[in-house]
Amino acid sequence: MGEPRLTIARRELATLRSEKTIVLALLIQLFIAAFSSFLVVGLVSLYDPGSVEGYETTVGVTGDAADDLLRVVDEQPSMAGVAYDSQATARGAFRNGEVDAVLLADRRAGRVFVTATVPDGNVRTTIVVVQLRKALSTFERVERDRRGSLLSATPLDLPPRTGSTPYYGFSYTVLLPLLCFLPVFISGSMVVDSVTEEVDRGTLELLRVAPVSTVDIVDGKVWAAAALAPAQAGLWLVLLDFNGTTVRHPLALLVVVGSLALLVVTLGATIALLSPDRRAAQFLYAVGVLVAFGGSTLLPRNPVNTVARLAVDSVGPAYPLLVAGYVVLGVAAYLLLRRAVPRIGLAD
Amino acid sequence: MATGGVALDRDVYRIGVADDSPYHDVVEESPALAARPPDVGRLGRGIDVVVADRFYVADSQKARAALSTFRSAVRRHNLDEMRDERNESAAFPVVVTLRYVERVPDDAVTAGAESDGTATSDDGDADPGAAGGTGGGGDGGLGAESGGVDAAGGGTGDDPLGVPGLGGVAGGLLGGGTSGSPADISPPFPFGALVLAFVFFIPMNFVIQPYGSSILNERINRRGELLLVAPVSPSAIVAGKTLPYLALLVGITTLVALAIGGGPVSVAAVAPIATLYLAATFVGAMFARSFKELTFVTVSISVFLTSYAFVPAIFTNVTPIALISPLTLVVHDLQGTGVTAAQYLFATGPFYVGSAVCFLLGVGVYREEDMFTQRPVPLKFLDALNSRIEGKGSVALLSALSIPFVFIAELLAIAVLFVLPVEVSVPLLLVAVAAVEEVAKSVHVYAGFRGPFAGQRGWKTALVLGALSGLGFFLGEKLTAIVQFVGLPDLTLGRAAFSTAGVAVTPTVGLLLLLAPLALHATTTSIASLGATRNRAAYLAALVPAIAVHAAYNLAVVSALG
Repeated sequence: MGEPRLTIARRELATLRSEKTIVLALLIQLFIAAFSSFLVVGLVSLYDPGSVEGYETTVGVTGDAADDLLRVVDEQPSMAGVAYDSQATARGAFRNGEVDAVLLADRRAGRVFVTATVPDGNVRTTIVVVQLRKALSTFERVERDRRGSLLSATPLDLPPRTGSTPYYGFSYTVLLPLLCFLPVFISGSMVVDSVTEEVDRGTLELLRVAPVSTVDIVDGKVWAAAALAPAQAGLWLVLLDFNGTTVRHPLALLVVVGSLALLVVTLGATIALLSPDRRAAQFLYAVGVLVAFGGSTLLPRNPVNTVARLAVDSVGPAYPLLVAGYVVLGVAAYLLLRRAVPRIGLAD
Repeated sequence: MATGGVALDRDVYRIGVADDSPYHDVVEESPALAARPPDVGRLGRGIDVVVADRFYVADSQKARAALSTFRSAVRRHNLDEMRDERNESAAFPVVVTLRYVERVPDDAVTAGAESDGTATSDDGDADPGAAGGTGGGGDGGLGAESGGVDAAGGGTGDDPLGVPGLGGVAGGLLGGGTSGSPADISPPFPFGALVLAFVFFIPMNFVIQPYGSSILNERINRRGELLLVAPVSPSAIVAGKTLPYLALLVGITTLVALAIGGGPVSVAAVAPIATLYLAATFVGAMFARSFKELTFVTVSISVFLTSYAFVPAIFTNVTPIALISPLTLVVHDLQGTGVTAAQYLFATGPFYVGSAVCFLLGVGVYREEDMFTQRPVPLKFLDALNSRIEGKGSVALLSALSIPFVFIAELLAIAVLFVLPVEVSVPLLLVAVAAVEEVAKSVHVYAGFRGPFAGQRGWKTALVLGALSGLGFFLGEKLTAIVQFVGLPDLTLGRAAFSTAGVAVTPTVGLLLLLAPLALHATTTSIASLGATRNRAAYLAALVPAIAVHAAYNLAVVSALG
């Protein structure tokens, strides 16, 4: 009984191999992974200059609040302050490149007014502005503490600074879910193509005169596509681990990916059976997945969040229940499709 | 990292905090943090950070990330509290005004002041920002006087690439506050404009799907035969099939531009991207053997083109190199900074040339023997190249036309190799660049020996074709350099200064520096084309020494300059 279905599933995978499309799929993912780390490293080095070695910003400080401000600036990592007696000398130093920025701090009407002058239009500008913001925020905190008696609420003490890498959050909440779900979406799209193409080329007729039922054909296609996604995701988990990003609960994670793949592939197959024109089917599938997936991210317990929390081990002891929920969802959709297939008039 | 409105990182970190602790509210407010009982004993097992008499942190990367997130949550919480304070000057005791000032060397400023005739050189000294808006006068506290709410006009030079470039109104959304409390100032990052620019891409990804299907449909069950036997040329058929989709995309782009406040520049910048999307899909659909394959091809096109257009645009305000992407023009347009014709040409030129080449190749195989047969993709590609080879001169032309693709492939190599350590990535990159260029220069020569030049496989033909191909590539490369120089003088300033210095030493050395790449390209391509005369294995084998020579040359140049 299972034999013809397995044969069809094997045939599906064999065409993928012969067309070498699977290589393309893996290449896309590799590209995305490489490009997003490129992006993140680039952005982080712009926005968190502390994480980049060798940047020392020198700031010229002048004005009547200069002493207090200078003390704060000197406390900052990778920042150094220089005091100037007059604005003119500070500006001269800025122009000659002796300092990267000039802060003019004046006390007036119970406040400190700071005019920050930064160089225009070069790569360092962003870094300088970010560092100035850090220093000035600290300065604001110091000044606020002095006026503490005038405030109705005291600000909370900040937790200590850590040497945490900003890539951590990104790797687990963006990159990993991306690498896990992209194969799922591609699998769904593949099943749409597979079904519409059989209808279009007329080969489905040939399959149907063979001693297999329509349900068997759909089964074979769904199995092949749904099995592909967790296999690819598993490969990524291994690669990520190799790269130093340890993923916890890998099995639970693959089960979630597999269940979602079953769900999405079932959705794709249903659409393709209902509307065998590839253009319409692909469009409906893309919109459907986009809406469903985009909508799900608004939920408090969305798939992306589940994957991220499983991977960093931020799930309680009840996590098998959560995973089981996904399995139920996927299997229920699949069973529903199996019951519906005989009623969908396939290619008349 | 920004979490945005959609919390993907909900409850990722667990903080142990008592219900009556003032930090409990902070944890509740922040989506990424989840509150747990303050049990120090469970630190590291279910709890990452515990708030008790002090902050206890588990010894793991995750706990450190949790603490860092917690720290910014507390900071945000404090800021919110302060906003409710009645005593504003005590809550926000520091008011910052940010000014962007162009650094002008001393003598230049003096000269400018003197030509003004209004100030002595000493006064000019005190005002480096004379070119800008609010930067005038000796009084640095100009913005501060009005309570620091003075809109961002400041200090932009006349250079359209200047960093701030904010219209007063757009300041909040289009990147970079320049005044207010320290938390309000932000670096010039065009986040809003980038998000808006992304809207242009969404319809493209949808439209190429039916377009690809429509092309591939012609090839299934010989449906396209009717059109082929009709008295119209293949290019007319392709144009007829493509123009509606192009018109649709331009129409959607115009609507999007109207909706998000972009002008004609935005439409003109997005149109070439749309064209390249369609062109690449067309070639993909001509080569693909099944719908499945087509899907992978369209997904790749979407991913590659989106990242190619998007990633450089992030650095719009940082470096002129961002202009390799037309999206940068859109960001400039949305920010209200001008775009010059040269910048437009520089950004969109490769897209126009690339689309034209793709369509030319695709139309070349829009004929019966390629459309309705299940030939392997490499053979179809060679066929497509062959259809464009007429005489030896066209070999040089094809080499020159491959430059936009070489450009994209090399950028890709940089992106992929970026994650490796520098000692490994630089040599690998040099080899990758050599490989990309060698293949681009010789693949059509190889195709030629399978097609028009099949009868003349002598070593003389090989050398002539190799030299011509190298010459074409060299000319294309130099043309690109000249366009860069004209279009982006500030980008090439340093390099130009360097090379003129080199020429100034001795004219012979300068000439040698100019001609060395020509000799290199001609030599290496000749090596590869000698192999190409025989068969595929010989061609691939000949590519190895060609790439090796090229890589060695690159390495020598880099180490000589470095």
